[in-house]
Amino acid sequence: MLKNKRWTFIIGLLAGMGMAVVAVVTLPRLQPHTFYGTVLQSPDKAPDFELDTASGTVSLEDFRGKIVLLYFGYTFCPDICPATLAEISKAITSLGKKADEIQLMMISVDPGRDTPEMLRDYVTHFHPSFLGATGTEEEIAQVATMYGIFFEKHEGTEATGYLVDHTATVMVIDQEGHLKLVFPFGAPAQEIADDLAFLLK
Amino acid sequence: MKTIVVIPRCRNFGIIALSIFALFSIALGACQPSPKGPAISIEEAWGRPSPKVAAAGAFYMLIKNTGSEADKLVSAESPACGAVELHESYKTEEGAMGMRPVEGGYIEILPGGQAELKMGGLHIMCIEKLADFEVGAVLPLTLNFEKSGEIIIEIEIREP
Ligand SMILES: [Cu+2]
Repeated sequence: MLKNKRWTFIIGLLAGMGMAVVAVVTLPRLQPHTFYGTVLQSPDKAPDFELDTASGTVSLEDFRGKIVLLYFGYTFCPDICPATLAEISKAITSLGKKADEIQLMMISVDPGRDTPEMLRDYVTHFHPSFLGATGTEEEIAQVATMYGIFFEKHEGTEATGYLVDHTATVMVIDQEGHLKLVFPFGAPAQEIADDLAFLLK
Repeated sequence: MKTIVVIPRCRNFGIIALSIFALFSIALGACQPSPKGPAISIEEAWGRPSPKVAAAGAFYMLIKNTGSEADKLVSAESPACGAVELHESYKTEEGAMGMRPVEGGYIEILPGGQAELKMGGLHIMCIEKLADFEVGAVLPLTLNFEKSGEIIIEIEIREP
């Protein structure tokens, strides 16, 4: 009797351990990817726009099939914008060949001072594929509103001239044109890369 | 008989330590937090490489005060910049990011404390860049402290 109980216990233990191993091996594969960025569930397509770049007018639709990263910034921005653009550059570089399927576009919140050429020189410093776009004050205001981006000039010093406060999030539009994710300012390259890699699968 | 007493200042610790301190180790006592005054040191001073078209650049560093009194960084200047301002980045009520000159116009470093100038926070803003901010460049920067006076440092241009 005693012997039987012991065997039952041992078999039970082994079976339990076996199930635990199976669970550890298979569970992560069954789990959906947990995004680092904030996931947006919008049935509508991200609003389209037309803006000027150094290589001509572009619209959002031109990039259908690619992941588009939208960022609003300006060239007279030595801290916040470079920090963000450098992280995105690091993230997409880490994806190797897949980087070709991602397009970052920085839209100027300072159309009064930024020209398409200045924006090109500024953004390509961080990654050769980056695009810089601008338009009239009205066009920029319209695009910013459509994407919930706040920006506002405030007086600086004699040396700086005016400065522009702006929402510094990065928006991710997927291959079908849906606004999919938003990264807050300061999102590390590794997290951005993980999310992008999943969307590229 | 004349006795010369050398009381080295902490800032010169590196140079003096090699020559005098080694011989008169008793003098080391002088470099414990000095009885009076701030003792400022700067570490990891760097700036991000930036394209020519970017009119402004930011410098970052760690400012330490091992002395017994607070000190204030009140201004800075560099031949690499048309103007230099002490700035801070901040988040607005709307969740937007911006930057402005630091409140009061100075950065205070308390005794035994430090000020960390880093991305997204405090930075020294170089306006109207007069030099190329290319990887490997070394730019001189003069920091003016209220009590410690001028401290000249080098900014290394590199990726973070
Ligand atoms: Cu600044």
